[in-house]
Amino acid sequence: MSPPLRLSPKVLLTEPIKMLPSLFLPLAGVLFVGGFSPGSFFWAALGVAGSVAYAVVRWATFTYQVVGDRLELTRALVSRSVRTIPLERVRGVDVSNPPLHRLLGIAVLKIDTGAGGEDKQEGELDGVTVAEAERLKAVLLRHARAGAARRTANPETVAETAGPYGQEVSAPVRHAPAERVLFVVPRRWLAYGPLSGAYLLTPFALAAGAVGLAFQWGNELRIDGRFVVGAGEWIWDHPVVLLAALVLLVLAMPVAGGVMYAVFNWDFTLRVREGYLVAERGLLTRRSVSLERRRVRGFELVEGIAERWAGVARAWAVVTGLGDSQTRGQLLPVVPKAKALDVVGEAIGPAISRLRPHPPVARRRRLFRAVFPWLLVALCAGAAALAWSPLWWVPAVAALLLAVLGVPLGLDRYRSLGHAYDGTRLSVRSGSLRRSQAVIEERAVVGWKLTQTPFQRQARVLTVTAGVGAGSGGYSAFDVGEAQGVAFAAEVTPAWLAPFLLNEPQE
Amino acid sequence: MSDHAEEHAERASAATAVPGTGGRVPLRAPANPVSRKAVALWLFEGVFWSAVLIGGSFLLTRWIDGDRWSWLPGWALGNIWWLPALVTLATLPAAIVEPFWRYAVHRWELSGDVVYARSGWISREWAFVPVSRIQTVDKAQGWFERVLGLATVEIRTASHAGSSTIKGLDYGVAATLAEELARRAEELRDDAT
Repeated sequence: MSPPLRLSPKVLLTEPIKMLPSLFLPLAGVLFVGGFSPGSFFWAALGVAGSVAYAVVRWATFTYQVVGDRLELTRALVSRSVRTIPLERVRGVDVSNPPLHRLLGIAVLKIDTGAGGEDKQEGELDGVTVAEAERLKAVLLRHARAGAARRTANPETVAETAGPYGQEVSAPVRHAPAERVLFVVPRRWLAYGPLSGAYLLTPFALAAGAVGLAFQWGNELRIDGRFVVGAGEWIWDHPVVLLAALVLLVLAMPVAGGVMYAVFNWDFTLRVREGYLVAERGLLTRRSVSLERRRVRGFELVEGIAERWAGVARAWAVVTGLGDSQTRGQLLPVVPKAKALDVVGEAIGPAISRLRPHPPVARRRRLFRAVFPWLLVALCAGAAALAWSPLWWVPAVAALLLAVLGVPLGLDRYRSLGHAYDGTRLSVRSGSLRRSQAVIEERAVVGWKLTQTPFQRQARVLTVTAGVGAGSGGYSAFDVGEAQGVAFAAEVTPAWLAPFLLNEPQE
Repeated sequence: MSDHAEEHAERASAATAVPGTGGRVPLRAPANPVSRKAVALWLFEGVFWSAVLIGGSFLLTRWIDGDRWSWLPGWALGNIWWLPALVTLATLPAAIVEPFWRYAVHRWELSGDVVYARSGWISREWAFVPVSRIQTVDKAQGWFERVLGLATVEIRTASHAGSSTIKGLDYGVAATLAEELARRAEELRDDAT
């Protein structure tokens, strides 16, 4: 048993700096209102000193300690609050180094307990030395696994935890963790990044940030208000400049998006370490996420429309009790689809490629939904154009164009629809602009929900949603035939539906 | 394993080669209706909310009419008093029909250690929640439910899509059901999820 430990004193540096952005505005405000008088500087200095003192108090009053089979995070100021995290509840440990932390050689350790996705329940140690982070991670994961194995009466699960990687179940814990690199994404594949559409709005965000900063610092530098107004008027008089800037920003979208993507997904590495899948990535902030394999229940394969055209895809693991699964569950960034299927197949399980199509009436519904709203907008705008001003023709034509584009979109959405069950895992797929296919183990299903709107009733289809205690919580097959949908649920979990079926589905 | 899996998928797709031909949803209705008093509950809720809407539209109309909002076209201003009438026409009949319709749809059943519940009125929903996956069972009573002696049973699993809420049960029935579910869930607890 270790004594209670404190965070690294270096957090005294990182904490106030972290607070700077939120302090900046009030400080600037105090300075301006006070007209840079000595008094206002005093108050501003007091604010800074206060934040430093706050950091010192927080550091001095916070300790953590592994006691037996639990981790205790204690904050003792006036009152004492102890958060206890049973080690057997630890589902993953996530170590990251933001740039400032990296500079100082410290790290942020996040402990994932999977407590219903409530952030409050998770533990975070912001500012332990890198060595301590590694030590603690090893301790936490070892305990978690040992606890899990002890509790598991089912020997298969134990074998599954350690079996396939040539590791003895009784491997001594002191051994260096055996690890195997599943896949390192080659750097040239970073070029696929912009296809995913991620970070594409970066140039606009940067421009907005720059304008905001210019206003803040403009005041600071005592740039005359009249100058700003003058500049605004000048731009208003030369719309070409504005247009050029806009075009430039649009052109910068793939470049800036690609750079951001590369920064976040640099050297994406997927490893198998004992019972964990470890995904590591990032250039400035190197982020590593450990997913307990025992809790992985399937995966989700996502392809945007541009990605499909290029034949690439992204993958997420579906893990029970993983909070913020959208960023933390990522298994693969954008890579060629064949490779994605290979890696996911090795890490989790093979994909199900043969999906059952949904009834043709679903195609009609997809088309209607993709075309009709825009058609309605076009009609209204057209009517407005005839009644009031020809300016309304612009939105009318735009909406009409979108309605026309809705035809291929609707057809493609229908083509995407599908569901399947292979005896142990079910799969559903939907979407066109963002097509996603989920493959989920049958044992992860915690319930079913069938829904039917009046329009669906008319078309004799319904939506079948498998409730899953992992990932997004529910995976839906849209517009399945009425009998087909019920048969699907009954096929996956026969015992649950059998008492309620009207007639057995004909074999 | 994958061979077997594909075989299975193929067989299954052959079985449902002609999808959607099975007619209506091939599920029987759950055995138990909700309490008759649930109609009163839904009626109260529906009438209350439509009254709020009608009152709101009435006030809005009076405001618009009184201040003659200039940016509204003339025909809209001239006929502004149709607004509360239309809102009444749209909400009140729905509020009166909904409870009876719901009473016909809302049913529930516990058998084979699965909770089967049907709900909705214009849209329908069938929920299947196996007792072995239940995490919590809540029995809740709003003030009007208390007046009527009704209760709501909320059955939660690890997923919102696998959870279910049964409204409008007699208090005694709800208490027995919640008790039974909690007891069985304890016995059957399955940690796979």
